Amino acid sequence: MKILIIEDESELAQDMVKYLTTEQYLCEWASDYKSAINKISSYDYDCILLDLMLPGGDGLSLLSELKKLHKQDGVIIISAKNSIDDKVNGLKLGADDYLAKPFHQAELAARIESLIRRRQFDSNNIITQNEISIDLLAKTVTIENNLVNLTKKEYDLLLFFIGNKNRVLSKSALAEHLSGDFADMFDNHDFVYAHVKNLKRKLKECGYGDYLKTIYGTGYKWEI
Amino acid sequence: MTKLLNKPLKVFTIYALIILVISIPAYVLVVDFIWITELDENNWLTLQYTKNKLEAETFTEDDLEKINHIWGELQPGVSISKVEDNFSLQDSVYEAIRTNEYDPDDGEDRFRGLISYVVINGETYQLTIETNVEESDETFVAVAIVTLVFFAILIVGFIILNRKLSKNTWKPFYQTLSSLQSFELSKDRTLKLPETDIEEFQELNNSIEQLVKRNVDTYQLQKSFTENASHELQTPIALLKSKLDLLFQEKDVTPAISEILSSIEMPLSRLSRINKNLLLLAKVENQQYTEQEELSVKEYVENSLLLFEDYIEDKQITVCSDIENAIQVNTNPFLLETLTHNLLSNAIRHTQTEGAILIKLEANTLLFSNSGKAALDIKQLFQRFSMASKDKISSGLGLAIVNEIAKRENWKIDYYFENDYHTFSVEF
Repeated sequence: MKILIIEDESELAQDMVKYLTTEQYLCEWASDYKSAINKISSYDYDCILLDLMLPGGDGLSLLSELKKLHKQDGVIIISAKNSIDDKVNGLKLGADDYLAKPFHQAELAARIESLIRRRQFDSNNIITQNEISIDLLAKTVTIENNLVNLTKKEYDLLLFFIGNKNRVLSKSALAEHLSGDFADMFDNHDFVYAHVKNLKRKLKECGYGDYLKTIYGTGYKWEI
Repeated sequence: MTKLLNKPLKVFTIYALIILVISIPAYVLVVDFIWITELDENNWLTLQYTKNKLEAETFTEDDLEKINHIWGELQPGVSISKVEDNFSLQDSVYEAIRTNEYDPDDGEDRFRGLISYVVINGETYQLTIETNVEESDETFVAVAIVTLVFFAILIVGFIILNRKLSKNTWKPFYQTLSSLQSFELSKDRTLKLPETDIEEFQELNNSIEQLVKRNVDTYQLQKSFTENASHELQTPIALLKSKLDLLFQEKDVTPAISEILSSIEMPLSRLSRINKNLLLLAKVENQQYTEQEELSVKEYVENSLLLFEDYIEDKQITVCSDIENAIQVNTNPFLLETLTHNLLSNAIRHTQTEGAILIKLEANTLLFSNSGKAALDIKQLFQRFSMASKDKISSGLGLAIVNEIAKRENWKIDYYFENDYHTFSVEF
């Protein structure tokens, strides 16, 4: 899978490359409008991460350019502007998702994962990981054909963990994933413990491979 | 408070009253003097005429008696009588006050007399000529009445003129005043005052326009400064966050380091929230959310409750919501969402564990109540960064944003403390 990161802030772009690059993903980086256009027209990407404020041009016009080229690449807008208009216009112009800066890398990874999954929707709407299989359409989880009865939040968390496997996820990243942009209005994210505890218990009852580890003082990790 | 124009009117009125009151005795004295001078002259003329006539003819003593008698009968103003001892033959003037014989109800009358002497047939006769003069107290009353009538006319005139003046001359002033009263620094860009042909007002208007322009410029500058500053801060905050995420992934992070890293997350979150809210506030102030829709308030409150349910459960807060009233509000979805989110998160944050939150949707009002201990200062409540509690995470901007949104949308926002409950109300 190929990801193109269009971001003028080199430090941030490098962090994203570092975080996202796995056996599964290959990341490329374009730092301005011109090089982004070159890359887009020459190659196909599974996902493009697009910053709206770029030297040499506007990110939104890049979106229209993409449409003109009849490209099918998935696009996630990552913008510091966090303006509703940009979000609406971006989605109208064919972007698939919008993530406001600052964000947790884990959230970005989960969004990319979900975008790529959605785009492969027709062929594959079931994620299988060893004994666990997740039906994205029905939103059900089964372990060796036993249905695991999860709440919506537990289900979201499971997807979040699987989308960030082998990475340490902090409590605040999890809280932000569950409560969206407003998690940072509160200073106590202890409820995350409760959800993770329940998720862990339910998975264990059905006999999963005990992938969900607690990392002392930090958060959790889905280790596989 | 008196109106500007009423102030000179009052002073003028008092001054006019004083002058007119002083003028009353002055008039009386002058009129009296003229009266008396005229009458004395008249008496003297009559006397000369009578003397001449008496001296030209020869009258006997009996004739004189008869004349005197006839005079007494027909014209009591003139009389003649014989003088026995004639040591004072000088002409003299006298004044007498007597009861009016014909009209006793009239009270007393004043008479002005001239006494002179005439020698007829070797005998000295005293000739008295008397004329009725208006009494000075009657003159006084008449003058006073006339003066007061004129005073009244003068005052009525003043008031009418004053009204006319204030309507015409002061019109630009009142126009300027009303423009200033309706001017809002955060809403209006410029202030255009009407042209006037009165120099002072034109100067005033020019100065005000300049002053307002400078203020608007400063305000705009400050506003764009806030927006630019928070824009600039977004990238470093994003970097810090992503660096922290990467640090967590390092293999050889000891638990001690990892705990420090975790404790960095909280202030970073707060920094991020303050920055986001500053940006949001600037955008609301800049009226960047203009699209309007008919929205159900109930739906938005339910969304907020759903979003924050974990925090509510975590603090074991009881939520009672009575939001069945289906009110529709024509507003921007993002603004309404921000309003309900901020009010609810504010209530959750400031409710102690096992406290209660009441949400009520009345006819046109949305009420958020939460249990608390003491009333808060309403003056400071909606100010930026005026935190009532030492809350570590609060951005200090939540209620300022609520206030700003309400101001933009012309909603009425209120706070009161009753029965150990803080209540915030929004009247749509």
